[in-house]
Amino acid sequence: MNAHSDLVTSLEWPANLNEIPKAVFDDPDLYKMELEKIFYGPEWQVVAHRGEVPEKGDFKRFYIGEMPVLVIHGEDGQVRVFHNACSHRGALVETKNRGSQLEFECPYHRWLFSSTGEMIGCPNSNQFSPGFKKENFGLREIRTDEYCGLVFATLSDDTPDLKEWMGERMLDPLARILGGDGRLRLLGYQKVNYACNWKAYVDNDGYHAPLLHPAFKLLNWQGGRGSQTPTENGHIVFEADLTMPDRVDLLDDPSLIDFKGTDTSNGSLVISTFPITVLTKHLDMLNVRFAFPRDNDHTEVHYAYFRHEDDDEEMARHRLRQASNLLGPSGMISLEDAAIFTRIHHGNISPGNAIFQKGVSDPRQLNFTPAQNDETGNLPRWEYYRKLMGFRRAQS
Amino acid sequence: MSDQVRSDTRLSSVSRDVRDQIADLQADYIAALDSQDMKGWLASFDENNSSYFCRSKENEDEGLEVGYMFDDCHERICDRVKFVDEIWAGTFEEYQTRHFLQPTRCKSLGEDLYSAQTNFTVMYTDDAGITKVLASGCYDDEIVVNGVARLRSRKAVLDTNVVPRYMVYPI
Ligand code: FES
Ligand SMILES: [Fe+2]
Repeated sequence: MNAHSDLVTSLEWPANLNEIPKAVFDDPDLYKMELEKIFYGPEWQVVAHRGEVPEKGDFKRFYIGEMPVLVIHGEDGQVRVFHNACSHRGALVETKNRGSQLEFECPYHRWLFSSTGEMIGCPNSNQFSPGFKKENFGLREIRTDEYCGLVFATLSDDTPDLKEWMGERMLDPLARILGGDGRLRLLGYQKVNYACNWKAYVDNDGYHAPLLHPAFKLLNWQGGRGSQTPTENGHIVFEADLTMPDRVDLLDDPSLIDFKGTDTSNGSLVISTFPITVLTKHLDMLNVRFAFPRDNDHTEVHYAYFRHEDDDEEMARHRLRQASNLLGPSGMISLEDAAIFTRIHHGNISPGNAIFQKGVSDPRQLNFTPAQNDETGNLPRWEYYRKLMGFRRAQS
Repeated sequence: MSDQVRSDTRLSSVSRDVRDQIADLQADYIAALDSQDMKGWLASFDENNSSYFCRSKENEDEGLEVGYMFDDCHERICDRVKFVDEIWAGTFEEYQTRHFLQPTRCKSLGEDLYSAQTNFTVMYTDDAGITKVLASGCYDDEIVVNGVARLRSRKAVLDTNVVPRYMVYPI
């Protein structure tokens, strides 16, 4: 694994921190490097929530970058992440997206694994190569950690401790998106494959919200106090209060946008963790957008929605209605975001730089306290990306 | 499927007149969607009581109710028309759909109510003129037939568990 893109040596990154070379969206070699350095490198990747695999034996198939992984709630209660590759010749161990079973059998030569990843049996092993030991042929486990039930995995030993990697600032909002204590149950998925590079998918900014999304205006939904907090290592936390209108004339069924919860402010929370995961809480909807790149030009997103274990029927139903109608790929206040991803992707096949403007007071400085509707919040992530990939920055 | 069950749910188990009315409803429904006529789409539903759901088969099979669209009352269906015609107007990339339907099952539920299953394939063509499959799946319907057929409930279940783009229009 030593991918290299000539772009990294030939391209000089602009001296101004608000200028992003569009060439980085359209280079398959660079994409291979990104897989190695970012997706398979020292970052935590969000792969599952316990609410998707609540019982022993429950499993979920997912991807880290392009690598297939298998998340299993083991019979010992621990949730582990494995490469979804048989320890014999590497066939996918499991092809179902989700399910529940205490043993995993690879059909090719019938090697059998337990829910904790140990090898249970392999036919004809008396004729195997000298020194073969079953103990050495369990499923290959990937380093994991959990926060409020959210399961992170990393392929690198150098990745810092999870809480250190997230940073103090993220812990409280992340817990709130995850229902406060992480005791969530899955309501279901919306899955979509966007025709855009993964960096276009995650580059949504604070500037666009009141402009792109007519729902905010039509509903007389005033953005109240809000903040954006980017971190040095590419995460961003957005928090905003929403002042709810007294009357909603636009909708025949305004109950869709009721806010019933009392656990947090009457508002909206969005967390973007580097490199590719977005989590949102809007009104009563709890949503984790599990994502991975399919290739340089496609990003697959699994919008997973949750309810809290303590919800009564009415609340669970309300969350279900908001989940399905508000913030997904066909959501009332998010469809327009999806419409931008491919426009950005295709439009960026053009020379020059994308230049961020809103909130830029000094192009040579990063701003870690941008205003709610600035687009400067994305720039620390771009700077982190530039350094990781080894692009040289021009001096002037 | 046993012979008994099959003959009970065959299209020929209901009268030709009922079948004709249902066929008209299905044709009107797809003609409306394929001409981006959301009010025409709305007119396919029983205005006293109706629902529309669009979700993946993966969710459906697991009893997970989340959908791409979840309109559990007639007011929600009316609001979906507003989503497309008012709220999202001018923000999305237009695309042309073509729905192709094949009825497979139909059965009387008593009175003037019928259940029907209809396979669909929906192609879409983007602004660049490229045509691809948007979704393939099955409608699971309850239909009121009394001189004219209207949808009491429609569940569009998508075999396409990962759709290739955001969806503006219902299926
Ligand atoms: S590849 Fe799995 S048993 Fe041989
Ligand atoms: Fe947005």
